Amino acid sequence: MHQAQPILQRLDNAGRVAENAVLVIILTSMILLAAGQIIARNIFGFGFIWSDELLRMLVLWIAVAGAVAASRADKHINIAILDRFLPKKLNSAVKVVIDLFTAGICAVVTWYSVSFVLLSYEYGDMLLGDVPAWILQSVLPIGFGLMSWRYILFAISRFTGLLRGGKSA
Amino acid sequence: MMALGPLLALLALLGAPLFVIIAASAMWGFTQEGIDLQAVVIEFYGMAEMPILLAIPLFTFAGYLLGESGAPRRLVKLTQALLGWMPAGLAIVSLATCAFFTAFTGASGVTIIAIGALLFPALQQAGYPEKFNLGLVTSAGSLGLLFAPSLPLILYGVIAEISIEDLFLAGLLPGFLMLLILSAYSVWKNRALRVPLADFSWREVRSSVREAIWEIPLPIVVLGGIYSGYFAISEAAAVTALYVLIVDVLILREIPLRKLPEIMRESMMLVGGILVILGMSLASTNYMIDAGVPQKLLEYVSSLVTSPLSFLMLLLAFLLVLGAILDIFSAIVLVVPLILPVAMQFGVHPVHLGIVFLATMQLGYLTPPVGLNLFIASYRFDRSIVELYIATLPFFLCLLLSVAIIAFWPWLSLVLINGSFS
Repeated sequence: MHQAQPILQRLDNAGRVAENAVLVIILTSMILLAAGQIIARNIFGFGFIWSDELLRMLVLWIAVAGAVAASRADKHINIAILDRFLPKKLNSAVKVVIDLFTAGICAVVTWYSVSFVLLSYEYGDMLLGDVPAWILQSVLPIGFGLMSWRYILFAISRFTGLLRGGKSA
Repeated sequence: MMALGPLLALLALLGAPLFVIIAASAMWGFTQEGIDLQAVVIEFYGMAEMPILLAIPLFTFAGYLLGESGAPRRLVKLTQALLGWMPAGLAIVSLATCAFFTAFTGASGVTIIAIGALLFPALQQAGYPEKFNLGLVTSAGSLGLLFAPSLPLILYGVIAEISIEDLFLAGLLPGFLMLLILSAYSVWKNRALRVPLADFSWREVRSSVREAIWEIPLPIVVLGGIYSGYFAISEAAAVTALYVLIVDVLILREIPLRKLPEIMRESMMLVGGILVILGMSLASTNYMIDAGVPQKLLEYVSSLVTSPLSFLMLLLAFLLVLGAILDIFSAIVLVVPLILPVAMQFGVHPVHLGIVFLATMQLGYLTPPVGLNLFIASYRFDRSIVELYIATLPFFLCLLLSVAIIAFWPWLSLVLINGSFS
């Protein structure tokens, strides 16, 4: 178990780097494409045919990628009012339940995203001219799958933290 | 089975991510109606059909970049040179700078960190009382929500499906009213304070203009471009993002290239957090409209109040409570679709509703238990929440007064858009 830790750690770091790379690529192409469109329209008098559609797709992607990044930091918008009134240990236990609930809901969304993408694959929907839509839509199952995974990890680490805390106390 | 609602509410209050709560309630609703749960995904995917959303990541990123650069310092210096000669000059400088900066950075709390942290020591040094300074910096952190191109204004336009250009115009006078009332309070509060008035000096102005030469075109291009109709909102956002990127990274070199990925990540975490809530609420809203929730709400509200005036009072009370527990973005996507039809039945113009909604939600930044500004300021200035709460109270009351004026005087919001609506 203890030898597995550094590997998991390294995997985790690699995941963060990969997320950053994805975010940088999407955001940069978004800025360049959106600005390039204005320049093309005003200076050369034409627009790129697929750029509007691609830009809308990029917004969906950055939304999902950003949400995945927010999950890693456990920084999703929440209302958390009651938790500060709970005793520390009970609060950690409650957090484990919430993590599992979050992971579960994300898993359900993932499941139905997969069927959504499969349906689009069967129908042979196309976007941006001749790109199969399911490729572009795959960001949904991937993103929600990653979020579900992230909250499973949170649940495990909080649970083991709880056990360890219990032993030392 | 019926216990699901309270259970979800409990999970939400215990800190479950809001998007999960919304997704769960939408899925529950769809299951009840016998609709395949793929509907949730289809609604979420509907975000890819909303071109205006492009403005959100681009403006947010530009705002985060500006916050990391030297722009806040230059902005403070420029405003100081222009307004510093007035009584309570530095206080007014603080309000104006914060409002301007918040308009560009959205309502993410960046203002307190980027500008408040510069202004607080300056105010202290100038001899203003500490409690006043804390209150000022904390409450000014969300001032400017009503000025273009603020994120909440854009989001409200998206959700209410009304012209964002109209909203940008409509927010101007109410936004200035807030500034005016807070400035008046600052002058009155410090009337006994013998701070030597700074002289207005053209040399100061010239030198601060020269320093801020790269930032000055920004509002002119962005706001001029939008108001003149030359740029669409998302185009203005693209120009802003590219411009700020080029200036701060390539020309002024205040932000090293290797810091960019982290800034992008930080800003996109906020964007992802907002949009994932938006996507899920598209599904839940759809369900609630199918289930006739707005009609039921209308019936209920009509049984409570009859006149537009009493409706507005009820609305204000509701929004004050809402603002205290929900952040502004979630409140917009969740609540606006439900109350907009009701408000229109009572003769409230959708643009006016938007301005009232945002102005009231702005107060939520200063009210416990959730008040974002209180938490950020508490962290940044190392004070207790209670201390900050007491310090912001007079400012809160000033803002409450402005909100009441904005709500009961629709002319202020509608005159610039020729909104004749009775």
